[in-house]
Amino acid sequence: MGQYLPLVVLMILATAFGGLSFAASRLLAPRRPSAAKQAPYECGIVPSRQPPDRFPVSFYIVAMLFIMFDIEIIFIYPYAVERATVGEFGFWAVVVFSVIFFLTFVYEVARGGLEWGPLHGYRSLEQDAAMVSAARDSSSTIRRVGLEGRVDRVTAGGANTEEAA
Amino acid sequence: MNLMVASLLAVDPLLDTDKWWWKVLAIVAAKVLAIFVIGLIGTMLMVWFERKIVSGMQNRIGPNKAGPFGILQTLADGMKLFFKEDLLPDKADKWVFRVAPFLAFVPAFLLWSVIPLGGDFTDGKDGTVTWFGETTRVQLIDPPVGILIVLALSSIGVYGIMLAGWASGSKYPLLGSVRATAQMISYEAALGLSLGAVLLMSGTLSTSGIVGGQDGIGNWNIVATGFIPFVIFMIAMTAELSRPPFDLVEAEQELVGGFNTEYSSIRFGLFFLAEFMNVITMSAIIVTLFLGGPQPLTLGGVDMLGFAGPFGGTLWVILKTLAFLYTYVWFRATLPRLRYDQLMDFGWKLLIPAALGWFLVLAALQMTRDKYDGLGPVLLAAALGVAVLFVAYLLFNAALVVSKRNREREGVAY
Repeated sequence: MGQYLPLVVLMILATAFGGLSFAASRLLAPRRPSAAKQAPYECGIVPSRQPPDRFPVSFYIVAMLFIMFDIEIIFIYPYAVERATVGEFGFWAVVVFSVIFFLTFVYEVARGGLEWGPLHGYRSLEQDAAMVSAARDSSSTIRRVGLEGRVDRVTAGGANTEEAA
Repeated sequence: MNLMVASLLAVDPLLDTDKWWWKVLAIVAAKVLAIFVIGLIGTMLMVWFERKIVSGMQNRIGPNKAGPFGILQTLADGMKLFFKEDLLPDKADKWVFRVAPFLAFVPAFLLWSVIPLGGDFTDGKDGTVTWFGETTRVQLIDPPVGILIVLALSSIGVYGIMLAGWASGSKYPLLGSVRATAQMISYEAALGLSLGAVLLMSGTLSTSGIVGGQDGIGNWNIVATGFIPFVIFMIAMTAELSRPPFDLVEAEQELVGGFNTEYSSIRFGLFFLAEFMNVITMSAIIVTLFLGGPQPLTLGGVDMLGFAGPFGGTLWVILKTLAFLYTYVWFRATLPRLRYDQLMDFGWKLLIPAALGWFLVLAALQMTRDKYDGLGPVLLAAALGVAVLFVAYLLFNAALVVSKRNREREGVAY
């Protein structure tokens, strides 16, 4: 195991660096804990609800699919390294396994196992583009009401013409 | 340890000895210390490099106060963190909360150990150097399972992030860490499958063996595996590092700071250090796997930088790694963040099937090349492979259509 000795030494050194950093921080940093500081951070709002215990099932499906793909990876690495030894038989074994594997993956996708979030409605891009057209300005999009009899320059919208004159 | 077992287990000639005396131990100690110092200083420079390049791209000045060109800014920030109050939230799981930074930080350091950082690989040399009369490699260890160590360490890094969020006892870190875990394991599958293509070409798991096989640019794995695995690996790596555009882990508009919201002081500092150290080590690993590591780029048989030898190899590693570091910073300055469903669709419905299909076609080609002579059978195998891939694509597309139709039947949510 001499081959891995340097790795162990580096691990000890890295852990020691982290530990010493914590020790130094403990010595140098102030310690003034308060209830507000130690509460869960929610942008200044006092937390009213517990963090969720349950999560969307999609996350669990991803975890299970990952294990399947890990098995596939474990299966192809030895073949990739020992390709010359196992030859044609090894190749067909990998192909058969991968085909079965791919078909189950296709089934999983078809059942909607990898769909995330609700379906979004269709949004017209033309309408969005019209919203930012240069023809729209404050005089065409803001409907001014109740202006009868008012001479207030700002609300009546006549300020610019008077100053220009 | 008898001789046969030793030769099976050990690759680094320095450690392949029963005579453990002070010279060997001194070289090992010097290497460990060198890696440690390079790791810390490299990370410090990387943070500065990123801030400086991004500020240049955004028409700002960036850090310019601490040291020449602001190069010591990271050191100043790090020292400041030591003087900040270290909070332990009330609802936190105290023990896991304390351990999580180590789980992120120690694997980041250990990744350095299997990267070939230099050595002379030109003209079929095996990349060993002789220091003080001992033959060794310019890398900390060179075990026969080199690449598996990389995968294992990057998996342990996921635990650091997952447990940090879980142990915080707070809403946003928990959401961030669940997202992070799903993202990282998804892209780890793509990473592992695209790595299979490299192993197919190299036929070894040892990093120095992979580098040794890539003599000449035609044998660099980026060319030999047909570019697609490189692209998949690069994208999956960006997601593994949770760098933009895949930084949903710390999407501050949605999740405050993600998994490290509750972390302050040097505990946060260790996460930060790990994140940026991973960027450097993973870039170096891409260079090792696809761009020949210390192998020089030659022009008419001559090293383009002009000087061969172990230091030439180190120079090449640094240059190639810098190219990737710049690319990562460029990504960050250029690309907008993905939406979460886009991220998952991209990983599972494009990268993973593509990586698997490409691996199988490459395997078929290699198998044909081993078995038959001449170009004809290889071309036939390629045509067959493309045909099978096309059928698989149609099947997968049909699955996507069925899934979409079922969803539309449920109706639009908003």
